[in-house]
Amino acid sequence: MFVCLCNGVTSHVVTEVVANGAKTSKQIAEACGAGGDCGRCRRTLRAMIEAHSAVNGCAPETVSR
Amino acid sequence: MGEYDLHSLILACDFRVDDVDRMWAWLKKHREPLASIGAHHVVLYTSLWEPGRVLVTIGIHQAGSIREVLRSPAIFEWFDISGADDIPPVFGGEVVEKIDLQGPTPEDHVGRVVVGVMASVDDVSALMDKVHDGVERFKRGGVRKVWVYQALDDGREVMILQEIEDELTARRWIDHPDAAAEWMSKAGFGAYPTQFVGRFAHLMSVGDGG
Repeated sequence: MFVCLCNGVTSHVVTEVVANGAKTSKQIAEACGAGGDCGRCRRTLRAMIEAHSAVNGCAPETVSR
Repeated sequence: MGEYDLHSLILACDFRVDDVDRMWAWLKKHREPLASIGAHHVVLYTSLWEPGRVLVTIGIHQAGSIREVLRSPAIFEWFDISGADDIPPVFGGEVVEKIDLQGPTPEDHVGRVVVGVMASVDDVSALMDKVHDGVERFKRGGVRKVWVYQALDDGREVMILQEIEDELTARRWIDHPDAAAEWMSKAGFGAYPTQFVGRFAHLMSVGDGG
């Protein structure tokens, strides 16, 4: 899935970034650019962080979204 | 789902709109920008159970640069006019196989119900083998068509459109899908939307495709 249309970032890339430790949409933007322009994909980014947390049993951070 | 939808390259998006009719009217007036991004058909499905939820598929002539297409002003304007503050993820893929289990359906067949799923699967080739092995069971479950698309950006990602006989049968299929339909249990995770259950609503040809 293309998650960030502004920068053409896919869910595959974001998944890797989250797996490598990104816990906020800001950290994702810093790592791969997703959500760094218009920001209208951040809801999806947060859903991906939450899905990763659910699988790995750790709570996502609630700040800097 | 019908013969019009035989495009092999597809963009698809599942999202909520303020006013479906208004959005469709806007799209019909803006065929030129759609043609400029290589679109030849647009198909709209509306949710049966969730007002305002739509699944839109856009057939495109060639892969070219999907990223360039997606960042075009036409796409953003479309989401703006739809009232979508949040931009939903967009599936970009090509057809793997279109399995018509019960022969062609007339384009104006009004009873068709479509269950759409976007998901990540373990192995697309293995998935197709399982689907072929389960064709008779799928038929008995009221499935008329199974169309499988594979994402261009992720070899494990698929979009599967299933045409089901009617709403009741669709509900039964969702509650108790065949074991071979592993995608049914994988929707709604992370970036992927939950299962879309809707009806064919509109078709539009664009550019030379019209």
